[in-house]
Amino acid sequence: MSWFGFGFNGFGQIIPRARASVGVKVLFPERLECCDCDVGQTRVTRTEKEERLPGEHCCTEIRATWSRRAVVHRQTGDVCISGFVTSPSNQNACTHVPATKGCQDALIGERYLTASFTDKIECWDIGGLGSQPVWRMELTKTDTAALPLAPGGYAFPKTPFYRALAPQICARKLALGTEHAVLLSADGTVYTWGSGSHGQLGHGSVESQPEPLAVEGLRGLPMGDVAAGGWHSVCISAGGDLYVWGWNEAGQLGLPSRCLRAQAEHGSAGEAGCAVVPTRQEAAVTQEGEGSEVFISIQAFPALLDLPEESEMKKMSCGTRHTAAVTCAGDLYTWGWGDYGQLGHGTPRSSDQPLHVEYFTKEGLCVLDVVCGSWNTFVLASERAASFE
Amino acid sequence: MSSSLWIEIKSALPASKAEFALDFSEKIDSSLVSLLLQARELLYEGADAAAECLQTSQIILDYSWEKLNTGTWRDVDKEWRRVYSHGCLFKAACLCQAGASQDSVAEAIKTCDLGLLMGAAIMDNVLGRLINVLQKHVPGRKRALHDEDLDESRKKPRTESVVTPGIKPEAAVSRIHCPSLEHFRTNYLIPQKPVIVQGIIEHWPALKERQWSIGYIRQAAGCRTVPVELGSRYTDEEWSQTLLTVNDFIDKYILCQDGERCMGYLAQHQLFDQIPELKRDICIPDYCCLGEGDEEDITINAWFGPGGTVSPLHQDPQNNFLAQVVGSKYIRLYSPDETEKLYPHQSQLLHNTSQVEVENPDLQRFPDFAKAQFQECVLHPGEVLFIPVKYWHYVRSLDISFSVSFWWS
Repeated sequence: MSWFGFGFNGFGQIIPRARASVGVKVLFPERLECCDCDVGQTRVTRTEKEERLPGEHCCTEIRATWSRRAVVHRQTGDVCISGFVTSPSNQNACTHVPATKGCQDALIGERYLTASFTDKIECWDIGGLGSQPVWRMELTKTDTAALPLAPGGYAFPKTPFYRALAPQICARKLALGTEHAVLLSADGTVYTWGSGSHGQLGHGSVESQPEPLAVEGLRGLPMGDVAAGGWHSVCISAGGDLYVWGWNEAGQLGLPSRCLRAQAEHGSAGEAGCAVVPTRQEAAVTQEGEGSEVFISIQAFPALLDLPEESEMKKMSCGTRHTAAVTCAGDLYTWGWGDYGQLGHGTPRSSDQPLHVEYFTKEGLCVLDVVCGSWNTFVLASERAASFE
Repeated sequence: MSSSLWIEIKSALPASKAEFALDFSEKIDSSLVSLLLQARELLYEGADAAAECLQTSQIILDYSWEKLNTGTWRDVDKEWRRVYSHGCLFKAACLCQAGASQDSVAEAIKTCDLGLLMGAAIMDNVLGRLINVLQKHVPGRKRALHDEDLDESRKKPRTESVVTPGIKPEAAVSRIHCPSLEHFRTNYLIPQKPVIVQGIIEHWPALKERQWSIGYIRQAAGCRTVPVELGSRYTDEEWSQTLLTVNDFIDKYILCQDGERCMGYLAQHQLFDQIPELKRDICIPDYCCLGEGDEEDITINAWFGPGGTVSPLHQDPQNNFLAQVVGSKYIRLYSPDETEKLYPHQSQLLHNTSQVEVENPDLQRFPDFAKAQFQECVLHPGEVLFIPVKYWHYVRSLDISFSVSFWWS
């Protein structure tokens, strides 16, 4: 069982750049290394295997931000960071963070590292990891919710570092996008709030919402998981269906994108084709028709996304402008912005259709989990012959 | 040829790394700042480092582009726009370094334009200086002003007939010839009364010695990238914005050489800040001095498009002088007193825009619209329409049209 990474490697967060011929873009999946530990490898004893809860396959978690990748070692409870570290002389694959010793979970951002322990949650400025945390919260009882959820609210990578949530909402999972939040409650309801400028809240408009509001379009469909990208949201239903909404300028919703087609025609960089220029109308377009094909630049209501082979979805994750999803059968699909190879198909091309990542099938690997950084993708996969089922 | 380009580009840049300041507030992530420093290093290293510098510049651009798209445009931190401009600078400079081809010159100009459009001014408008250098190296730039483009416009295959509406005399906007400042102020500005002023722009070079035409615009700005609105009107669902070079815009939407059915409009764009050569061809009307604001606060917009472009009925928060340079426009005006009969949109984004299609109103949905009093006119080249603050106005071009608007207070 190993973690793989592909996509943006400008800071060596997938493979250290000190290696010869390692570039800024990793186009095909590469096995990750992490200091002296074997990332993903675990000496499994029979009893451990039996006790393991479903879904918990590996002793390491990956967390990623634009310029860094963090490995959370579950067994020893500590965090290593690769990529942009403040001491440029460090040529190692990764740097241990002593302050996180004994932690259960961690989240990494461009500025802050947040770690949860059995008795507290702490948040440090990455520029000053040796010093005091910028925020800390005592935990009176063991909290099972994953970061960024915290008792009564959630931790946030910008001041105020803690935000309260209405107690009526029984939060199960929280995903934070660039300027919005997607929350999954215990009963499978999806709530969203924050900026709605690109339809990422799924309430049918481009209006923003200051407080959590249930997504009406999903009422009656209990969801099992949620994820948030830069300006889009994704969720998986209890039955394994995938729903998407928000911005689709790079095809990150898996729906036809005019911007993408235009870019393919003119071969111009994405930032030119769909740039935001202040004009007299800041309202964005919901749909554009051209001939018989309907392009979607903003999807303001949840839409069901059909993947090939009628797969049942297990897990998904979002970068700023791309999406990756794992099926129950162990296949990985990616779509959206691909300029840095974050789709893993071996080219720096974007796609507005979900594409199967062939690498894992060719290597006889079964994909178990996926975690996206801003412009890259990390995948946990194991040999199919050695799978636990 | 290409080496002379690089020599000229170099002279527009700081002479050395040491003179190239890179100061940013701590709002800019240190990871990104390290890339800016790296780009500067690579730029001064020489042509061998150009490819890597280009890649680093692209990362800077992609990251800052995401920041520019975060929050509303107004809220975007100026620091990120500065970063974006620096990315454009590094990219454009690298493109000119090793063996600059025709394509790289065009791409470099486009890159600088994106910096001008979306970034913030840096290093004493270095992007503008780079464009000046680059424009001299655009192939075919020196072609003479031909009338061929005007001939082309006559044979464009637009089949929709452009209907010139008859103006009812009782609703006609009055015309006045060259009034004194005092007369204009007393009779039109203070009472906030629309009027067409004649005889005040005939001295504009755009109407005289450098008469604006398709050929002239191509020569002055053909390779420049500008924002274009696509779709019939900005209240429609199919409406969108894109970026095109002026040449492509003229080919596709003015001359319709691609047989495009879609409407394109270079609308509400501060073209004259972007292209100073065109600014020399116009002048700010003297009457603007009657306002309270400074000359720097006057917003000058260009409006360039084919016949049939429509600006839906809307109001603006400032006084407006709409100067017609090429072609004619049908304009209808409603006083702010009529606002309730004009059914403005409720949403915050469109509350300054009426829901009613002026020339095809749905009187079942909007019955009071028929009762609203209005004035109307056909504005001809050489004329300037004074639109008072918050006066509702609807504009449809009757043929290829180029207008310049001045928003002042």
